[in-house]
Amino acid sequence: MSSPVRGTPPQDAPGTPAALCRGWYEAYGAAIYSYLRFHLPSPAQAEDLTADVFLRAVRAAGRFDPERGAARAWLFQIARNALRDYLRHERRHPHVSLGVLDDLRSEAPSPEERLLWKEEVGRLLTALSRLTAADQELIGLRYGSGLDTLEVAEILGLREPAVRTRLWRALGRLRRVLAP
Amino acid sequence: MSEPPDDLRDLDRRLRGIRFEPPTSFGAELAGRAARGESPPPAGRTGPHRALLVTAALAAGIAAVALGVPLVGRSKPVTIDRCCYDLDGGGAQDDGVRIVARRDAEVRRLWVYEDTDRSGDLTPEDIVRLERGADPSLAEAGGGGLVTIQRCCLDFDGGGPDDDGLLVVGVPPDRVLMAAIYERGDGPRRAGRPSHFRLR
Repeated sequence: MSSPVRGTPPQDAPGTPAALCRGWYEAYGAAIYSYLRFHLPSPAQAEDLTADVFLRAVRAAGRFDPERGAARAWLFQIARNALRDYLRHERRHPHVSLGVLDDLRSEAPSPEERLLWKEEVGRLLTALSRLTAADQELIGLRYGSGLDTLEVAEILGLREPAVRTRLWRALGRLRRVLAP
Repeated sequence: MSEPPDDLRDLDRRLRGIRFEPPTSFGAELAGRAARGESPPPAGRTGPHRALLVTAALAAGIAAVALGVPLVGRSKPVTIDRCCYDLDGGGAQDDGVRIVARRDAEVRRLWVYEDTDRSGDLTPEDIVRLERGADPSLAEAGGGGLVTIQRCCLDFDGGGPDDDGLLVVGVPPDRVLMAAIYERGDGPRRAGRPSHFRLR
């Protein structure tokens, strides 16, 4: 391993804002991005808001108390508030165009299957945008971030059975919106 | 974790398959921005708004120079943060107001927030109920149930004396549609009636 150049302070020294940001991002960045992206119509907006979340977190790092809860729950709380603020100020797009799903992960082997998957996701997210904010948030936390119901319960300050009950009800409403 | 009901399993499976991925270089870019001490934009203002704000600030500067308005020597803005009151009609004394104003003069920015982390001032963890610029304006009401909440008298504009009032209009328990301050000064002493004072 090479040593740092003499006289150049390492940007990622432990405790620096850069190290803090990198550590949190590596642990939770993908989940938070995907959670935000579930609610936002373009990758650019999701990137902006993800950056906002982590820069807010770095600035507020002095107030983070690990004894009061895990970093994941704290970061998701910041993400939820940032998203709520953002959506309050932005006019939401009622449709998701296929052209802006370039950041959608797909393991489909053929271009045709990838296109079908994009169409399917576009239809699901359009239907999701017609649910209440509470339903959208719950579904976004569970499926957008990939958290399980126990982790979602921790973030929302609810018991897991309550989260499951609310989630199944929200999915029932989503299914009704999707019904032809 | 228990499985979803049978009739929701297919939908659950399809949703679980959705995953969005940020660009691979995004983490390094973010760490660089954090290292430079970059601040997040004010609540609710990200992306294209930043460019808009910079453009607006430049335009205002050019206009001021063109009109011969002196930019130097004016008093610097002060930030006043007051917490905690019930400003959204929710019943709990957990709301605050942050005001950026020229000392004892006009308001430049104003936020009404719910102090969710109980820190006693506006932090990233708080929920912003209202954010406004220089001019008081009423957001769309969308139904009835409006209530007016008034706090008087405190120093809300950094002028020194506790001679300012705060007026908030909202729909309980959590919607804030308008917030403004007013200065009582030596005006009519009609407690609870700000109608004689200019809102700012």
